[in-house]
Amino acid sequence: MMKKIQVIGYPLFFVVMALLPAVLDSRWLVVATTFVIFTIVALSQDVILGKAGMFNMGQALFFGLGAYTTAILNSVYGWPMLATLPVAIIIPALFGIVLAGPIIHLRGDYLLVVTIGFNIVFIQAVQNNLGGVTGGPNGIFGLEMLQIPGMGAFQEAAPYYAALFVLLLTLFIIRNLESSKAGRALHYLREDDLAAGSIGINTRVYKIFAFGVGAGIAGMAGTVFANQYSAVSPEAFNFLQSVLFFSIVIVGGSSVPGILLGVFVMFVLPEIFREFATWRYFIFGFAMIFTMILRPRGLWPAKFGRIPKAFLEKGGNHGQQ
Amino acid sequence: MDTFLQQLVNGLTIGSMFALIALGYTMVYGVMKLINFAHGDLVAGSAFVGLFVFSQLLGGEVSLPVVIGVFLLTIVAISLLGFTVERLAYRPLRTAPRLSAVVSALGASMVIQNGIMLLWGPQMQIFPELIPSVIWEVGGVVISLMQVLIMALSTLLMVGLYFFVEKTKIGTAIRASAIDQDAARLMGINVNNIIVTIFLIGSSLGAVGGLFIGLYYRGITFNMGWQYGLYAFVAAIIGGIGNIPGAMLGGLLLGLFKAFIAGYVSSTWADAFTFILLIVILIVRPTGILGERVAEKV
Amino acid sequence: MLKSKALLLSLAATVMVASPVLASDTLKVGVQAPITGSYANEGQGIDQSVRLLADQINAKGGVLGKKIEVVTCDDEGTAMKAAICAKDLVNKKVSMVIGSYTSTCAEAAQATYYRAGVLQTSDGTSDTLTEHGYWTFFRNSFPNSAEAEFAANYMVKEKAYKNIAILSDFSSYADGLATAVQDAVKKLGGNVVAREKIKAGSQNFTPVLTQMKSKKPDVIFFAGYYSDGGLIRSQQVALGIKADFIGGDANDNVDFVKLAGNAATGAYIINVPTPELLPYDLAKDFLKAYKAKYNMMPPSIWTILNVDGMRAFIHGIEATKSFDTKKVAEYLHTLKDYPGITGPISFAADGNRVGSGYMTYEIQKDGSYKIVFK
Repeated sequence: MMKKIQVIGYPLFFVVMALLPAVLDSRWLVVATTFVIFTIVALSQDVILGKAGMFNMGQALFFGLGAYTTAILNSVYGWPMLATLPVAIIIPALFGIVLAGPIIHLRGDYLLVVTIGFNIVFIQAVQNNLGGVTGGPNGIFGLEMLQIPGMGAFQEAAPYYAALFVLLLTLFIIRNLESSKAGRALHYLREDDLAAGSIGINTRVYKIFAFGVGAGIAGMAGTVFANQYSAVSPEAFNFLQSVLFFSIVIVGGSSVPGILLGVFVMFVLPEIFREFATWRYFIFGFAMIFTMILRPRGLWPAKFGRIPKAFLEKGGNHGQQ
Repeated sequence: MDTFLQQLVNGLTIGSMFALIALGYTMVYGVMKLINFAHGDLVAGSAFVGLFVFSQLLGGEVSLPVVIGVFLLTIVAISLLGFTVERLAYRPLRTAPRLSAVVSALGASMVIQNGIMLLWGPQMQIFPELIPSVIWEVGGVVISLMQVLIMALSTLLMVGLYFFVEKTKIGTAIRASAIDQDAARLMGINVNNIIVTIFLIGSSLGAVGGLFIGLYYRGITFNMGWQYGLYAFVAAIIGGIGNIPGAMLGGLLLGLFKAFIAGYVSSTWADAFTFILLIVILIVRPTGILGERVAEKV
Repeated sequence: MLKSKALLLSLAATVMVASPVLASDTLKVGVQAPITGSYANEGQGIDQSVRLLADQINAKGGVLGKKIEVVTCDDEGTAMKAAICAKDLVNKKVSMVIGSYTSTCAEAAQATYYRAGVLQTSDGTSDTLTEHGYWTFFRNSFPNSAEAEFAANYMVKEKAYKNIAILSDFSSYADGLATAVQDAVKKLGGNVVAREKIKAGSQNFTPVLTQMKSKKPDVIFFAGYYSDGGLIRSQQVALGIKADFIGGDANDNVDFVKLAGNAATGAYIINVPTPELLPYDLAKDFLKAYKAKYNMMPPSIWTILNVDGMRAFIHGIEATKSFDTKKVAEYLHTLKDYPGITGPISFAADGNRVGSGYMTYEIQKDGSYKIVFK
């Protein structure tokens, strides 16, 4: 059943998404693009939080790092938008690796607070106009628009397709990760850190690896974000955003459909019900509490491997601590 | 030297507020191993409830009985709110996976924060001047009546709490539950009641902290709880989370650290330095200053 | 043949779809302002007064026969939301935008309006606003540099302060104003003993103020917004720093006095005349109408300045008898002494408002302003 949904579901999803710009006006196109971008960030958060089981509440840092890399390269050094993409992947990934190094041995909640701390340090650095290139609390405006050759009439939809392409790429990476040696290692690590170590998995290396991959993907999303708004500014990457990404992954159940659902509820529904915009987080707060009470493992819990249902422990944790 | 002493006074004032708030985090964490994300928002809520009690319920005229009334009514309201949060958002998840409880706590935080916004609006509200602005100058150092009150009242509450936890029967039960809930239950302790007690005490202390914030800074916003909550939590970790004297020490140290960094190094990088300090402490001494080194449960 | 027919058909269809837009019977005026957030009362003031002016004009038959329709977008005082608002308002086909309150938000949206040929007027005082060369932008207040010269003259010449301390936050407006004041003070031979920056909204300013105290300033000039300024003033007094306090223009808001409490008494604020002090009949009429409609006074002069920006735009349309923004802008760039609520309106070629009338106010015990220097 699950398999069937995947086989039919994914292509169907992408066909629908690819056709969307034809029916959406420019406001809804912006909403749709934002949906795709935030989905990518949530998926990147899932690599660290869901797949490797590390309590990371600073994902907006890597997202922002990518966006700022693109913005600075474009505005200060005049690089074309697309050319900044590799750098916007490498820099956040390197940061992810370097920052994770000394902290991954920390237990859950401590890790959570430290990653919040990283996020806050980052925001303070860009607000203080570090190196004179981040534009201070204003951020950087008036970035170049992405031009996709041969798309003449559809230029308005260019950021959307760029985002969709990155989403496709992300899903491809995650799929490969899941079925690779590294993916299995991460899964064991999440299930039981100590046991994973005792069967010869180098937990340290794989944890840092997860941080690097998650940060790199978030950086990619950052480039698309800078491109979409042709602007970056600090408040778009503050730690409350990180809290939202964290919640989306857990509420969604750390699976692709769950995350899509989470991002949709968090970012698209409020645009549809504009009049409830001020009630938005109030309602979400309750929704988060009740979801967790009724479905502690999330709306659409992820499954790993092909373990027949009968062998699964009923109501078990499946790796969550 | 004057400047140094002045920064010391400033730091101790803010530190006392951090310490009061940090106690709420550390007690809950000690027993439930859960970051009570909603605590910071209860603190913010307290300032707003205090404003409401003063201007709507007690007539808006400053006098000593009114000020005491504001404190008492606000404490009652906020501890009831803390109790409700525990019942609604935490108790059903007592046995659920750890992350589910974290998300539920975040949800509770969002509900309270945005509840404040819906009730009082998103703009800054102005807290009344309940304490006369009297200042004394002692050898070049200026200290205000407000600062004296904040430090004195915080110290009193903290000493009281310390003796309550160390010397009374309920205090012993709290400590027992913090060490091992199951064993405590076997000894005939009603852990649920202990948790309720902790929430009532923690929220009351947070309520006092929130009123201090309102009195000291005047401008209150619905989302300020995050800021204070986060710092108080950092203070609790620095002191050794779960450890009550640790939270007090951590709060004071953090207040001093922030004042001196902002004064002597850079006010605009103070947040960054605070978190760098936290990271260094966690790497060097992961259990905080007063925390005991416990073997990780497997 | 078939192809060209299809082409013709689609062209016709496009024209049919597009024509209602071209011949729309309303003039859409966008308001981009912080309706919520820290500067909400300013934003709401701008929105309310634009709607009031629109009603007044519509009651007289509109602009060249078209009724005005006001479209509001809340930028929450943040740059990101401002950039989104700009796109949103352009999509809604507004021909002019009033706002925003902060320089940051005005600047974040500028490029979008420029690309779409939408006129924009803002009270933002940051010098950078008019330095991009956008023909669509008109400043309805006066730039930081003018205020800085006035402030420096007041502090160095009039009050003869020996030691001047300057404080600002990081926003483009505040930092720009503080730097301009610092330069102007130095030019007049004054002595700047401290130039510090604070983080807007951080509530606790005592560490910075304590450090300042050791430099023994005679005056603290604060460039920044009232939401911080009121707290800084109150903490300054609580720390026993006997220096005078001078707040830059953005401290001119009723909430400054509320935040500072008793400490507000004796603080100075430098700004163009407050709404109540405007001597013009136009001003009296507008304030009366505002009071009648909303049962309160506008929160500050910024509201009224924005109204004047809109009045200038409407005048431009009527004078050129055209809705072509380019033509209107060309006309406005040479506008001289058009009677405004806040005094004669003249624009320079770069979109700056020409002429300024700054004053220094001292806040009285009852919270009212007294002019002490102009």
